[in-house]
Amino acid sequence: MANYFNTLPLREQLNQLGVCEFMSNDEFLDGVDALKGKKIVIVGCGAQGLNQGLNLRDSGLDVSYALRKEAIEEKRASWKNATDNNFNVGTYEELIPSADLVINLTPDKQHTSVVSAVMPLMKQGATLSYSHGFNIVEEGMQIRKDLTVIMVAPKSPGSEVRAEYLRGFGVPTLIAVHPENDPEGKGLEQAKAYCVGTGGHRAGVLRSSFVAEVKSDLMGEQTILCGLLQTGSILSFDKMIEKGIDPGYASKLVQYGVEVITEALKHGGVTGMMDRLSNPAKIKAFRISEELKTIMRPLFQKHQDDIMSGEFSRIMMEDWANGDANLLKWRAETGETAFEKTPAGDVKIGDQEYFDNYTLMVAFIKAGVELAFETMVEAGIKPESAYYESLHETPLIANTIARKKLFEMNRVISDTAEYGCYLFDQACKPLLADFMKTVDTDLVGKNFNEGKDGAVDNQELVEVNEALRSHPVELVGTVLRKAMTAMKAIKTA
Amino acid sequence: MILLNTEELSIRYGAKTVLTGVSFAVNQGEGWVIRGISGSGKTTFARAIAGTVKYTGKLNIRYDAQSLLPAKTLFVESWYRFTNLEGDRNFYYQQRYNHQQRRDTVTIARELELYGQEYALDNNRLQALMSALDYDRVLDEQLFEISSGEHKKLQLIKALWLRPQLLIIDQPYTGLDVKSRGRLNDLLNEYTVNGGTLLLISNDAELPSCVNHFAVLMNGQFTTSDSAVVFEEKLLQPLPEFLKEPPQYSAPTLIDMKQVHVQYGDKQVLKDICWQVNAGERWLLQGHNGSGKSTLLSLITGDHPQAYANNIKLFGVQRGAGESIWDIKKRIGLISPELHWYFDANATVLQSLASGFFDSNGLYRQLRYMQKQQLNELLKFLDLYDVKDELLTTLPLGKQRLALLGRTIIKNPQLLVLDEPCQGLDQQQTQYFNKLVDEISKNGVTIIYVGHFETQLPACITHKLVLQDGRCIENTRL
Repeated sequence: MANYFNTLPLREQLNQLGVCEFMSNDEFLDGVDALKGKKIVIVGCGAQGLNQGLNLRDSGLDVSYALRKEAIEEKRASWKNATDNNFNVGTYEELIPSADLVINLTPDKQHTSVVSAVMPLMKQGATLSYSHGFNIVEEGMQIRKDLTVIMVAPKSPGSEVRAEYLRGFGVPTLIAVHPENDPEGKGLEQAKAYCVGTGGHRAGVLRSSFVAEVKSDLMGEQTILCGLLQTGSILSFDKMIEKGIDPGYASKLVQYGVEVITEALKHGGVTGMMDRLSNPAKIKAFRISEELKTIMRPLFQKHQDDIMSGEFSRIMMEDWANGDANLLKWRAETGETAFEKTPAGDVKIGDQEYFDNYTLMVAFIKAGVELAFETMVEAGIKPESAYYESLHETPLIANTIARKKLFEMNRVISDTAEYGCYLFDQACKPLLADFMKTVDTDLVGKNFNEGKDGAVDNQELVEVNEALRSHPVELVGTVLRKAMTAMKAIKTA
Repeated sequence: MILLNTEELSIRYGAKTVLTGVSFAVNQGEGWVIRGISGSGKTTFARAIAGTVKYTGKLNIRYDAQSLLPAKTLFVESWYRFTNLEGDRNFYYQQRYNHQQRRDTVTIARELELYGQEYALDNNRLQALMSALDYDRVLDEQLFEISSGEHKKLQLIKALWLRPQLLIIDQPYTGLDVKSRGRLNDLLNEYTVNGGTLLLISNDAELPSCVNHFAVLMNGQFTTSDSAVVFEEKLLQPLPEFLKEPPQYSAPTLIDMKQVHVQYGDKQVLKDICWQVNAGERWLLQGHNGSGKSTLLSLITGDHPQAYANNIKLFGVQRGAGESIWDIKKRIGLISPELHWYFDANATVLQSLASGFFDSNGLYRQLRYMQKQQLNELLKFLDLYDVKDELLTTLPLGKQRLALLGRTIIKNPQLLVLDEPCQGLDQQQTQYFNKLVDEISKNGVTIIYVGHFETQLPACITHKLVLQDGRCIENTRL
C-alpha cells in the first residue's frame, strides 16, 4: 500500500487539504433520515464504539455490534459492553454482509487488519465509516470502488459524547467524505445523518477531508496537545525541584495546572487565558512566549514537514513492524520521570494560584497553540481545521494529565499520538535547555506578583493586548466557540 | 454546659443579608430543630457552624474534654456530591443506566471501609447501623449506581458511625421511606443518649423524641418557641390560560408494559411488570428505597437502554420501532431528584424553565415569541418572575423544585412524571406543591406521581401501583 497523499498531484493535494466548511444548522434539517431503517453495524465496542452506538440507537436507528470471534467467545469487555446494553452482537461473518453502514471504531493500529477482514464481507454499495483517516491517507488502504467511505469524528472522549447527547446537546464533530469512494454521491448525506444521530449537529460541525483531518490531527497531537504539554510539565517540575520548591506542591501544581489554565483557554481562547494573569505577569508571559516561539518554530516546522511528506508515518510504521520497540521503551521512560513518581501533595491550590504561580505554563501553552496553528496554516491547512486540532483539543488532553499525570495522558491518547509525542519531547527538551537556565521561581512555583507593585507601561500593555486579540487563532476561535456555547465547566480538585 | 453559642452573628451573600445579629445557644446533649420557610437562612446558619461560610460576630463551640465522643462538628448537607476515583465530578444524568465495563467510583463497601479507616471506627457499630437502615444489600454497588434515598442513608450512616459531639443534619428525612424514618429517629435518640448534641434542620412533624427545643428563623433572626410553628398558607394564583388547554393525546393508552424484566448480572431490578396507563389517569407509584421505582420510570422516559429489550409501547408506539428518545421525551414532563442533582449548574431560573420546551438539561436553542410569553406567564404564576435571571443553584431548594416543576409543564405535555418532586421540601412546601399539581391536573393531563407519604399526596390521584423488590404487589384503581 502506498501513501495516498503522496500519490496525488500538488493541485489535488492542495484541494483536499483545503476542504473546510463550518456547517450551518439548516444543513441538518433532514435529521437522521438518510440512515433511517438502514442496518448500522459498529465494529469495536470500546468507549467511542459503545457511546456512539447508544446515541445512534436512541436517535431511532438500528444498531448492532460486530466483534471478533475471540472477543465474543472469551466474553471480553467489548462483548460485555454491548450485551449489557441489550445490543445485538455477532461475528463479522454474521453481521457485516447485511450492513448498510459499517462504522469502524477500533483503535488506529488495527484498521488495516479490521478493514481487510470486513471489506470482502460488505454488500455491494454499502458505506464504511472511519473516525480517523490514517488508514486511508497514510497507509493508503484501497477500498472497493462500489463502497462509500465517510468519516465522522466527534472531538471528545466517548463518555462525553454520551453525556452531552443526553443533556440535549452534543460535541463538536468533524465529518468528511473520501473523494475516491463516493460512487453514488450519498456520502455527505449519510455523514450528516450519522452526525445528527450522535447529537454532534448541535455543537458545531466542520466538514473536512480525510487528508486535512489526518495532516492536521497528527500535527496537533504531536506538538501542542501532547508533546509540548509533556515537555513543559517535566521541565517545570524539574525546575521547581532544582530551586527547592516542595516536591508535593510542585507535583500538584503541574498535574492540575494545565487543566485549570486550559479551562480558561477553552472558554476565552488564548486571550481569555492570558487575561487571567495580572498585567505585569501577562506582559512577561507574552515576552517569553515570543522567545519560546522563536526557539521552537524550526521543530514545529520539521514535524509538519515530516507529516506532509509521509516520513513520520513511515518511521512509525517501521516501529509497529518492530513490535513497538521504541514506543514501549519511551513509554517506560515516561513512567520513570521524577514528576511521575512524586505524588501530588495534600495542599490546597486555588484556581487563581494556578495562574499566578505557573505563569511559565501559560507562556508554553500560548506559544504552542499559536505555533501549531501558524505552522498548519502555512502548510495549506485551513484556519478552522487548524483551530480544532490545536486550541480546541488542548483542554481535553490537559484533563487526562489532571487525572493521572503524563502516563495516563499517553495511555488515553492513540498510539500514533503517543509515538509523535515522544519524538517531539525528545527533540524539544535539549532545544529549551538554555532557555530554562533563565527561568526562576517567579515564573514557576511562586507568585509572579510577589514583591512587585503591579505597575506597567500603558503603551506596552495596549500593544500586548492588541497582539493577543488579533492573532488569527483568536479571530477564527471567536466564531467557532460561539457555536459551541454551553461548554461545561470542569471542577477543580 | 454550653456546647455552641453565637453572638451577633451576621452573614451576607453579596448585597443580600441572610442573618442579622443572631444569638443562639445550645447545651451539650440537647436535641434541637431549626425551622423556617424556604430561604430563611437555615442552611446558611448550619454552614456557618460547620465553618464553610464566612460570617461576622462570634461563634464558639466548646467541646467536652471528658466526652467519649470525638471533639468534632459534622454537618450533613441535604444535597451532596460524590466524586470518582480520580476526584472529578463530571458524572452525568442517567449514567447509571448505561453499562460500561470501566468502573470509576468505588463500591459502597469500599467507601465505608475507607471511612472507617480514616476515623478508626468500630466495625460492629457499622453493622448495627446498616441493619437498622436495611443497607446491607447495596454494599456491592458503585456510588453512582445507587438511588438518591440510598445516598442519603450513606451520609446518615457515616455521621452516626462517627458520632461527633455536635451533629447537624439538614433535611434528615429526604428520600427516606416511612420505615427508614422511624429507624432513623431511634438512631438519633440513641445518639443523644450517648452524649451527642443534635441540631436538625427540618419542618417535618415526625421528629425523634430527643428533640425538644425548637427555633424558628424568620427575617434573619431566631424566634424560639416550644412547638412547631404553622406557616402562613400560600394562595394559588389563577393558572395561566395555556395550561388550561387539554393536552393533545396521540393514543388512548400512553404506557403499555408487558412482562417487563430488567436484570444486571445476577441482580433482578424489575420482574414481570405489567402496567397500563391510559390518558387522563393519575397514578401514584410507591415502593421502598431500592424497590425499582426509578428504573421503571426510566424505561418510560427513554433513559434506560433495557427498554429496547422489553415489550413496551409508549404513546402507541412499540419501543425500538425507530422512534428516538426525543420523540418520547417531547410528550413527557419530568422532574426527579436525579434530574435535579445533575441539572445544568450554569442555567438561570428562566433558562431552566425554558429548557422544558426542548427536554434538554440546560438551554441551547433560541426561543420563539409565543414561548417567551408562556414563560413569563408561568414564572409569574409560580412567583419566580423576580428571580428569573438568577442562577437556579443559588435559590433555596424549595424554589429550585418549583422552577423544575415549571419546566415539566411549560410545554403542556400529555404525561407528567413527578418522581418524588417534594423530596427535601417541608410539609408546607409540599402542601403548596401538591395543590399546584391538583390545579394543573384539571386540564386532563396524565400523571405518574412517586411519593413516600400517604398523608402528603395530591388529591387528584386515581390509581396506584406499588413495587416491592422489583415486583408489582398492588395495581389498583382508587
